[in-house]
Amino acid sequence: MLRITFTKVLNGAKLSPKHIYVATRAQSGEVKKPEKVEVFIDDKPVYVEPGTTVLQAAAMIGVEIPRFCYHERLAVAGNCRMCLVEVEKSPKPVAACAMPVMKGWRIKTDSEMTRKAREGIMEFLLVNHPLDCPICDQGGECDLQDQSMAFGSDRSRFTDIEFSGKRAVEDKDIGPLIKTIMTRCIHCTRCIRFASEVAGVDDLGTTGRGNDMQVGTYVEKLFMSELSGNIIDLCPVGALTSKPYSFTARPWEIRKVDSIDVLDAVGSNIIVSTRTGEVMRIVPRVNEEINEEWLADKSRFAYDGLKRQRLVTPMIRDCNGELKPVDWEAALLTVAKVIKNAGSQVGAIAGGLADAEVLVAVKDLLNKLGSEALCTEHTFPLDGSGTDLRSSYLLNNKIAGVEEADLVLLIGTNPRLEAPLLNSRLRKGWIHNELQVALIGPKVDLRYDYEHLGDDAKVLKEIVSGRHQFSSKLKSAKKPLIIVGSELLERADGAAVLSAVQTLAANTPSQDKDWKVLNILHKVASQVAAFDIGYTPGVDKIREGNLKALLLIGADEGAIDKSDLPQDCFVIYQGHHGDQGASIADAILPGAAYTEKQATYVNTEGRAQETLVAVTAPGRAREDWKIIRALSEIIGAKLPYDNLNEIRCRLEEVAPHLTRYGSAEEANYFKQAEQLAKKIKIQLDECTPIDVKIKELQDYFMTDAITRASPTMAKCVQAVLKQKQSKY
Amino acid sequence: MASTLLRTTKVLSKYPAFTKLGASCISTSAVRNTDPQIKNDIALLKPEEVEHKKKLQNYITVEGTTDISTVTGIPEDFIKERRVRIYEPAKNCMQSGTSNIGHWELDFDTRERWENPLMGWCSSGDPLSNMKVQFATKDEAIDYCEKNGWQYYVQESKLDKKFKPKSYGVNFSWNKRTRVTTK
Repeated sequence: MLRITFTKVLNGAKLSPKHIYVATRAQSGEVKKPEKVEVFIDDKPVYVEPGTTVLQAAAMIGVEIPRFCYHERLAVAGNCRMCLVEVEKSPKPVAACAMPVMKGWRIKTDSEMTRKAREGIMEFLLVNHPLDCPICDQGGECDLQDQSMAFGSDRSRFTDIEFSGKRAVEDKDIGPLIKTIMTRCIHCTRCIRFASEVAGVDDLGTTGRGNDMQVGTYVEKLFMSELSGNIIDLCPVGALTSKPYSFTARPWEIRKVDSIDVLDAVGSNIIVSTRTGEVMRIVPRVNEEINEEWLADKSRFAYDGLKRQRLVTPMIRDCNGELKPVDWEAALLTVAKVIKNAGSQVGAIAGGLADAEVLVAVKDLLNKLGSEALCTEHTFPLDGSGTDLRSSYLLNNKIAGVEEADLVLLIGTNPRLEAPLLNSRLRKGWIHNELQVALIGPKVDLRYDYEHLGDDAKVLKEIVSGRHQFSSKLKSAKKPLIIVGSELLERADGAAVLSAVQTLAANTPSQDKDWKVLNILHKVASQVAAFDIGYTPGVDKIREGNLKALLLIGADEGAIDKSDLPQDCFVIYQGHHGDQGASIADAILPGAAYTEKQATYVNTEGRAQETLVAVTAPGRAREDWKIIRALSEIIGAKLPYDNLNEIRCRLEEVAPHLTRYGSAEEANYFKQAEQLAKKIKIQLDECTPIDVKIKELQDYFMTDAITRASPTMAKCVQAVLKQKQSKY
Repeated sequence: MASTLLRTTKVLSKYPAFTKLGASCISTSAVRNTDPQIKNDIALLKPEEVEHKKKLQNYITVEGTTDISTVTGIPEDFIKERRVRIYEPAKNCMQSGTSNIGHWELDFDTRERWENPLMGWCSSGDPLSNMKVQFATKDEAIDYCEKNGWQYYVQESKLDKKFKPKSYGVNFSWNKRTRVTTK
């Protein structure tokens, strides 16, 4: 755009490699497709597809045209006029974001006329924009600030001789997450377009005209969306800012650490901003294959839960039944003694937030002690191929693949609240690709129209046998997808459900050879890694095992109770929050949360990604796998890894894809899985209707130890419940 | 990366005859009135051997990576235990500008920080915590790490998006779901 950073000049990169790449692609494409049109941006020729806008054509050769209302992931609005550029032989400047290029156009993005147009627009915008940058939370990452420096005039003609003041607009209250300072609004309507297109909550809009135009919700109400936080990012000025983050930090004084979100199974890429040793905010990081540039509210705002209810010191339950803080030495010695005495009668349950490193360390330790009682908290059918074949527990067609589908059958899942970013992809497909969606399960609000096939398990059976009216649609679809919620497979007849779905997927043809029809949507971040490493789904083994010691690795969902265990069973909880698991524990080993460790997580697609250390774990808490490593040495079954590299090598030995960060390994053997599933004896339970736990927005916010400790999430639940009672 | 290193001394020590020759070339006395001596060891050599010796007198270019970690003065534990991440920064979601992306960067793993008991500020014992180095390409960053003897890994970003022409008209299409009703 304007300046090239000093280091870039030193490195000899006048244009970034990305831009060069695009330019060459555009030119080489010209040979293959002769229908491309040639236009000239600042006298540089570029070949583009017909229908490309001036702004997109300019972006191809690295010329960035300033904009406020245009956003590449939203519809074109063309109302801010900042992108006006001169086109040779055109009497007026044209809005680059909305104008498709014509053959031979010579576009001047830095001519006198263009600069004058920009300056004029900036002047108009600033006349009605308050001069409160010093107290504005957007300061430092404000498009209006930057662009007024770059394209605005160097002097003001705004002289308020009447002292009437600038235009002022009343602030709106749209919930506990978004703070509105509507005087700052420049009416770009990005938030309105996001709400109606991506979130599907058509609550925002404009009222009034001209100087009296206002963006708001018509009547005061909560902006009820699980993706609401994204309008903070979209807002080019400080009109919409984050309420929990307000007045806490400036963008230039925070440290940004790229990381991964673990509060759902999608594995959204995030940037954790830290200052003074605490997490100040979490914003999304672009990853086209997972979250694009959106982030769900739970992932974005639950970070204040990382400061509350934390386990900061090891604890041992004393003779009075109270948990007493002790030092690491005493805790490790006690726990090691118990585990040593237990011998092979020791088990472990992995919760939803456990990382792959601790999972493999615990498995190695317990296997060394002769125990195989390693379970995950969330169950999954073990009959048939069980978790032996990866294709039966992954979202095989990948998250980005959902956009291309033309028919999606959702079974026993509520993607809007279980994986909001998958649902936004579904909605994108629904809008732009004429996607048809059908759902078996309770009638939930997905924010797009779908065919509700009922919540009867019988429907599934009918579809599998081809008797249902929907079967023919499924057969004739070009790219059909079946997405099954992991919760449905937790039922007693889960194996039968999985078998039915596998059969259905196998009998559903698709045009694309690489298209995978069968997809499982998980709810927790650790599940896929746990299966890959070889944990047994479900806690049945623990119940039957007659165990003397049980290790809970962040298991907080209450899958197991004291009453399920023998009287003398010693429960060790290792995790970061004092929640359900810690309350039944006899010893507590404080671990690190996902912002405090460099750890591997595998998302529901089977894509391994790693979190990075943003802050130091509080108090005496330590990285989880290191605790297990220390424990193993005291027990006398020393694990053979001392640092991150070595444990990563071990991960690679167990399953090589666990360290191929960023890429999703393809899963296969669909046919074999289906054939094995046919052998199972369990029958589909037709009496129990298909259900999901998270039905409405208020159920979404608090689902794990971190979110349950978060005051912001609690406020969200309150706000949603209050809004439900309101007549609007 | 090719680098030029002075390896002459090593090479010379392998050839004792040559060392003698070298020593006699450096004369300390001002005048020598003796007859020019014919040096047997040179006179008896074949022309190609003379050529070879001449070559050895020059600098030798050694192909391969240079490791400067031994001379940079960085303490051992800051070289051996650090993991360097090489990555391509993504666009800041809060802003629309793109001129600060499109390059590669390296940074180090985060080490422990603590609250300083004096002022309550956040302290760190890590001088590399503020080091972010920009490179035009991934390979340059890798070379830099190898030169410094750091352990590195490359984090690939998924930033490429399929190109799709934007259209203002779809807001008004009567039979598509892209039709906009709210303004």
